[in-house]
Amino acid sequence: MVQTKKLKDGSRQIILNGNQYEGITKILAELATKTKASAILFADMSGQLISQRGNTENMNTTVLSALAASDFAATAEMAKLVGEEAKFKLLFHEGEKRNVYLSNVGDYFFLVVVFDVNVTLGLIRIYTKKAIQSLQEILEEESTGGESHKDMIDSDFSSLLGDALDESFK
Amino acid sequence: MFINWALQEINLKIVFYGPGMSGKTTNLEYIHSKLDPSLAGELVSLKTKEDRTIFFDFMQIEVGRIKGKKPKFNLYTVPGQVYYASSRKVILNGVDGLVFVADSQPHRMEANIETLLDLENNLKQDGHTLEEFPWVIQYNKRDLPGVESVETLQKKLNFFSVPYFEAVAVRGDGVFNTLKAIINNVVQHVQNQL
Repeated sequence: MVQTKKLKDGSRQIILNGNQYEGITKILAELATKTKASAILFADMSGQLISQRGNTENMNTTVLSALAASDFAATAEMAKLVGEEAKFKLLFHEGEKRNVYLSNVGDYFFLVVVFDVNVTLGLIRIYTKKAIQSLQEILEEESTGGESHKDMIDSDFSSLLGDALDESFK
Repeated sequence: MFINWALQEINLKIVFYGPGMSGKTTNLEYIHSKLDPSLAGELVSLKTKEDRTIFFDFMQIEVGRIKGKKPKFNLYTVPGQVYYASSRKVILNGVDGLVFVADSQPHRMEANIETLLDLENNLKQDGHTLEEFPWVIQYNKRDLPGVESVETLQKKLNFFSVPYFEAVAVRGDGVFNTLKAIINNVVQHVQNQL
């Protein structure tokens, strides 16, 4: 299982190990090949981009993830207002040249598929559904453990970060 | 907080909260204008035609590698106007630290207090409390005539004695001090939770 910890103060912490990251990226690559999607993003519900595949060089995927997460969160609120008890599972934005298909992956993650209008939506739906199943399997796999935020942030780290901030904010 | 071991990345989400027109977007705009472009991503603002934030502003900043790790900070603002309450709640999803941007003018005191209560309410729904959560206050618009004294602001708004900063965000005064403080605060907080 991907480490999703609730800390004492209620905040959420998600830790992804190397194997999980590689597995996720592989699934995105397969999905990109099968659907001919222009871009595929995997991100967490707070808006942080985790992995991407496709032609994303000219796309600001960091911002795209942040916007997509807000899109999800906003529609979840809309669901409540219109009396839908579950959250809306997928969002679809139709353009003249490109469409965007967003689908949640469990409660904490989601997938963004950007594709040209000449690709049929049905094809995207079928392969995305399969990819989501595989992604969920990876996210549920036993974590190898040992890798935690303790190793990421030690006391040295915070003082060095302070210096780096001073340097950047000159 | 999101940690990606494969990329040695640590992502933190920091939200600028406060009443309408208190200067949240101005904080981000200043940071964006002063940071080296290699460290600051695009600043995205979802605004109305009248230049008011309708959903949020977003920008990602980096500080380079530290001990091989790559910290990234995702900065967001919320829309301050009262009727965007749901939007504010949505932006708080997965938040790691908060900057409360207060307006120092006396006639905005009530709006400051209301927004602070709104914040506490929204945090509660996510299982947080203002008492335990990492946050700092910025008393903005200190250059305007007739502003409240810091003492009064402290008494009325800072009931958990969090770090506070005086600022004139349009000039950039106090902006980086505030940002640095909240980043340090969040990192300390993560360590303390071990």
